[in-house]
Order: sequence, then C-alpha cells, then structure tokens
Amino acid sequence: MTDFVHATTDDSTLVRIRGLTTVLNGKPIFDGLDMDIPRGKVTAIMGASGTGKTTLLKHITGQMRGDAGEILVNGQNVATLSRDQLFTLREGIGYLFQNSALLTDYDVFENVAFPLRQHTKLPEVLIRNLVILKLQAVGLRGAASLMPGELSGGMARRVALARAIVFDPMLILYDEPFVGLDPVALNQVLKLIRTLNQTLGITSVLVAHELEAVKQVADHVFLIANGKVVAQGDPRTIAEDGSPWTRQFFGGEADGPVPFQYPAGDLGKALGFAGLAK
Amino acid sequence: MKPRTGIGGNLIVQSLAQIGSGGLFLLTLLAAIPRSLRYFRETLRQLWFVGAMSLTIIMVCGLFVGMVLMLQLYHVLSIFGGTSASGMVVALSVYRELGPVVTALLFAGRAGTSITAEIGLMRATDQIDAMEMMAVDPIAYVATPRFLAGLIAMPLLTCVFCAMAIFGGHLVGVTWLGIDNGTFWSNMTAVVDLRTDIVNGVLFKSLAFGTVVSLIAVYQGFATPPTSEGVAYATTRTVVASSIAILAIDFVLTAFLM
Amino acid sequence: MSQPRSSYAVGTGLFIVLGFAALAYLATQTTSIANVHQGASYTVDAHFADIGQLKDRAPVKIAGVRVGQVQSISLAPGQDAADVKLSIDTRYDRIPLDSVASIYTSGLLGDQYIGIEYGHSKKVVANGGTLALTKPAQQLEAMLSKFFGAGGVADNLGGTYSVTARFNNVGTLSVGAPVKMAGVPIGSVQSVQVDPVKLDAKVTLAIDKRYDQIPDDSAAAVFTSGLIGTQYVAIQPGGSPDVLKNGDQLILTQSAMQLEDLIGKFLVNGSSNGSSKPSTTPSGKH
Repeated sequence: MTDFVHATTDDSTLVRIRGLTTVLNGKPIFDGLDMDIPRGKVTAIMGASGTGKTTLLKHITGQMRGDAGEILVNGQNVATLSRDQLFTLREGIGYLFQNSALLTDYDVFENVAFPLRQHTKLPEVLIRNLVILKLQAVGLRGAASLMPGELSGGMARRVALARAIVFDPMLILYDEPFVGLDPVALNQVLKLIRTLNQTLGITSVLVAHELEAVKQVADHVFLIANGKVVAQGDPRTIAEDGSPWTRQFFGGEADGPVPFQYPAGDLGKALGFAGLAK
Repeated sequence: MKPRTGIGGNLIVQSLAQIGSGGLFLLTLLAAIPRSLRYFRETLRQLWFVGAMSLTIIMVCGLFVGMVLMLQLYHVLSIFGGTSASGMVVALSVYRELGPVVTALLFAGRAGTSITAEIGLMRATDQIDAMEMMAVDPIAYVATPRFLAGLIAMPLLTCVFCAMAIFGGHLVGVTWLGIDNGTFWSNMTAVVDLRTDIVNGVLFKSLAFGTVVSLIAVYQGFATPPTSEGVAYATTRTVVASSIAILAIDFVLTAFLM
Repeated sequence: MSQPRSSYAVGTGLFIVLGFAALAYLATQTTSIANVHQGASYTVDAHFADIGQLKDRAPVKIAGVRVGQVQSISLAPGQDAADVKLSIDTRYDRIPLDSVASIYTSGLLGDQYIGIEYGHSKKVVANGGTLALTKPAQQLEAMLSKFFGAGGVADNLGGTYSVTARFNNVGTLSVGAPVKMAGVPIGSVQSVQVDPVKLDAKVTLAIDKRYDQIPDDSAAAVFTSGLIGTQYVAIQPGGSPDVLKNGDQLILTQSAMQLEDLIGKFLVNGSSNGSSKPSTTPSGKH
C-alpha cells in the first residue's frame, strides 16, 4: 500500500497536468490548464470562488475526467486508469474534504480505522495502535470515542486528517482546510500540514484563498482564473508580480479582470428602456 | 427552469426515464453483490436498522389490523350467521393482501425514507465522495447492503405482521366476541393452504415488494441532488413512488398468482 | 470487532429468528399443514352418488368429533359413484362395518365434511375396507326448488292489469319484484306502500293481461327465492268461478316468512333421496 511513497521516478514532479480542458454543463471550467506539482513540497492552488479549484483536485484523484489533456500522477495517466487501478492509486492519496466528510455512523476511532479495515486484514491490536498513533499525531487521542456530531469544526477536520494519513500516503490533497476555523484551530491545522510535510515528506496540495495562511506553509503558489494558471511563484512575492490578476486577487479589489458583474445582457434592455434608448 | 412541453407528456417521459434509470440501477446493485460480500457485517448492521428497528411499528399495526378486521367481519358475517368463518376470512385476507401490502407500505414509510434520507445526507456531506477517495466502492458498501437488508427484512416483517394480525383477530374474536376457540382455528386450518396462501401470498409478494421498495429508496438516495431540498424532495418521492409501485405490483401479482 | 458492532449482530440475529419463528408459526399452525400430520392412520373407502362440494382434506367426523380427513376423491371410469378415500386416525379403529358415511354441510354456508354414524355390526372396518352404506350430499338448491319454483322476472309486459293485496309483513319485498304463479312469472310488484290507517302494507301487483283467468279467491304470499335471494309474490289459485279484474283486491294473503322459520321447516322435513337406508334418523344429524 505504501509503495508509492518510495516509488522512484527521476522526475521531481509528482503531478503533471498538461492542456486540461473541461466543460461542465456547457460552462468551460478549464481551458488548457498546465501545472506541475513538485514532489515533497507544499503547493497551494488559489483563485476566486467558482474557478474550479476543488474540481481540479477531483480531476487529480480521477473522480472527474477532463474532456481533453492529460494528468499524470506519479507517472500514471489518471484518465486511462481502470476503476480498480484508480482505487489502487487512491490508496496512496489522502484527501481532506472541506466539511471533513466523517462517516456519521461511526465514532472517531472507527472513522480513522475505516480505511485500514477496508483494505487490510491487520490484527485488531495493530489497527488499534495505528489509529491511536495517528490520533495522537493530530492531538485527538482523547476524543477517540466521540461521535462526529459531537466534534467542533476544527476537531472534525483534524480527525479527517488523521484518517487521510492513516495509510502514510504519498500525496495529500487539502480542500479549503482553513475555512471556518478560529485562529487557534487555524494555527493547529497549519502546524499539522507543515509537520506532515517536513517529517514524513508527504507532498501536499492545498486549495485555499487565505494568502496569509498560505504564506506560512506553502512553497509554491498557483493562481487560477478563467480556466488557466494566470500566475505562479513563491507565496511571499507573488503578490508583487504586477499582473492585473494578482493585483485584484491579493489586493482584494471588487472589480478587475474578474468582473463584478456576472455576464448579463444590456441593463437598459433588462429594465425595459430598450425603446427609450433608441 | 427547463422548458415545459406539456405537463402530461412531461410526466410520462419523466416516469419512463425514472423507471429506466431505476432498472439500470438495479443491475448495478445486483452486479455489486459479489463485491459487497466483503461487507457482510454492513449488511447485517443495515438489517438491524431497517428490519429490527421496524419491528415495533409492524407488530403494533399488525395487531390492530387483525383486531379491526375481525370486528368488521364479525358484524358482516353475523348477518348470515357465519361468524364462525370470521377467523378464516381474517387469515385469508391478511395472508393474501393486507399482510404483504400494509407491511410494504409501512416499511416504505419507516425504513425506505430513512434509507433515502441517510444516503442523501451522506452525499450532501461528501461521505460518499470520501469513500470513493478511500478506495471503497460506495455502491458495494452503501447501496447494496441496504438493498439486500430491505430484501431480507420484508418477508420476515410480513410474517411477523401476519402472526400479529392472527393474534389480534383471535383476541377480538375469541376473547371478546365469544367465537369458539376451536372453531376459530379449525376453520382457519381447513381453508388456508401453505402453497397458495403462505408461499405465494405472504412470501412471494413480500419478496417482490421488498425488492421494489428497497430499490426505490436506495435509488432516490443516490439520484437526488445532494442538498437539503434535494433530500427532502427525494424522501417524499420514495414514499409516493413506493406506494404506487406496491399497489400496482400487487394487482399484477394477484392477477397472475390467483 | 468493537462493542457496538456485536450488539447489532445480536439484535439482527434476534430479528431474523423472530421472523422465521413467525413464518413457522403461520405455516404450521394456521394452514392445512396443521391437519396433515396426525400420526398413524388407516384408509377406508366409501362410494357416494353425489359428493357435492366435498374437497380433499375435508374433515371426517364421528359424533361431530374430527377423526380423520378425506384423502382423495376420484371417479372410476364407467362408474356413476365417486370413490372417496378416508384417512382415519388409528385410535378410532373400531368403526362397525355397517356404519353410515354421510356428506354434511357445516352450518348453512360452511364447507362440507363426512360424518360417520355407527352401526350395530360386531365386525369393524379394516384398513382398505369399504363403508357400504353412504348418504350423498344433499343439494340445497334441489331441496329448495321443491318449495319454490325458480325463474326469472317476466318481461314483455305488453299490457297489465293491477290488483292489490294487503300483507302484515312484506319482508324485504321491493318494487319490481316478480309475481309468480306455479313458479312462472306473470307480473311484477308495482308499488309497496304502508296504509296509514290500517297499518299494514298495501302492495300493488301488475299482472300480464294474458293471465286474466285468475280466480278472485286466490291467495298471495311473499316468498324468498333461494336462501339469500330476493323476495317475490306467489299467487296460489283458488276455486272461485269469478276471475280477478283490474283494481280488485286479493283477500287471502300470507306474509313474508322469516328465513329462520323456513330453514327450520326444511331441516325437519327435508327427505333423503339417497341410495342408502340410513340407520339413524336424519333429524339427529345436527
């Protein structure tokens, strides 16, 4: 299960995306997107809401497929994998859902143990020890018998993180890990992301819009808009690269390349002034 | 809003589409049975939720159906001086129609809706996606065990319902209205046939209803948009579609089996 | 496995056991299976001229007590009597050879069964033996039709004349009910009214003009067709030389009889038309 961590490719890129094009419900999401996610680093994908950041993560895991282009994860083309091969690939990928997605039927312990029980025939003692170690790593060993409904948002996210790393994956995808957290919980999550990356060497990809938080953990930032990467670079300097996209996004301006107005027809026409305008 | 071509035509096309995709979903469920054998414990757990947890409502309703049926029959049959046959008529009507149909309707309301709502909420909170991500097939782990549990639970619940109805009929008929105990049983045993009434009536029908109700419940859970309105809408759909399907299939089965 | 899982398993197991217990209960206690396995039995033949509605597994009773059941019913080619095999519990193995097997109906509308009345012979029926003395099923319809002529309503009432009749009790007689003479419809009931002064029922009968030779001292009676059928008016002709004319009144009437009285009469007087000479009185059979 952990072969992927040690899988050797001379390539320093773990995820390579080339020319990804996706149309969803007639709306183009990606339009020839290229991206290289380096191995063993923390990479942040940023962008305004609705630019398809989460959708991009789902493409990487093969839950969604693009209409054109290719995605190579550890050298394997995701789009051409069979369902069984995809499942094998996913055992090497941890995914942290925005709303944690803990299984409400089970307590914290069983949630973390779930992947182990599904994919291994380990003895109960070993499962117990593994789960307790992972819970200790996220600081929630004492919450093992709580049900998901009894957890705060930050705790639920840390449990989900423990579940995502229970197999020691080669890659963790964080979907909006900072949303809705108080400053304390936010720092806990930041610390966890950093620790996991530094101690275990796990490649991390996080989708976020909080530049301040991203600056603290990420080694590299991609800014997505209009289905393309419009800017990339070091998170501490990317805001100063001078492009209109970065100025609007990091400066927080209401109008700019990302229009304030959702595409619509002429306002005068919509208000019934068409005749008067002529 | 989608353009409407006409309410009647729309309804027929939509119903056909529902039946079609429901049938395809059934094939998916059946194909996942070998894979879901690994999750045998999950099936057992669902059997607890949809079966054992429905026992109370099934037993209470069975008791009252038997009691009220006996009361009505007693008054009608007393016109012809045939009250001694009322135990037999209670048994026949419960075995052939009321037992399977009422149990299925109650099951759709009690267990079907909770299956739909549970799956809908699992989708709304990304639990299904999370399973996909943990390389666990949601069809084999979530859908098929619930479907199988419903399939197994329905005949068992129907048997319990029928036994309670007979007990209720006995309670009212023998204990209250004073029908002779021996007459009650001997008339019943003289007429009720194992093959036509118990196997064809109780078991076969309830198995058919179990298949349809569980299929509809699981399907609605998966087909619904994963939002709170979607879940609420799907739960209603489960009850409506199940009820119609139960009564329609009951008619067809009765026509063929009788 | 952790604790919650095994408690599910126990509860689910209990549920499955309960379901199968209910099934076993339904199958063995409420179906004919309950009558099938009764331990050792022996077989006796009986030939009946008419078995009526007798079915397989119908009970065989002695003095009203169930002692066995009908095993099979068949008709041998070239025979005009049904061959009925009775399976009788070996506990009742001292049935005299000259006992009478009769087909009875339990209650008025119940199923039919075979009753055995003991004879006086010292010899008993052995396994495979035959009860020679039998009484066939009595067809209620045949018996009743002796009392009332059956028939439909007279139609094509081209021209009619009206007569009235007064009854103390018309039962459930309604407008449109047939008027019959000698069992043949000759008209219909035109109206049924209660007389506010005399406090009896005044029934107007419309009689076909073809039947204009009815004596004016004829009697009218309210009868029932069949056991639970509709009621009708029967005209029993008198001996007067004068005939009924439009607007006349029938003086002699017989009101509707209660069904119970009717049945009582039938059960007491109903005669056997069977092929055997029963050794006990028929009135003792119920």
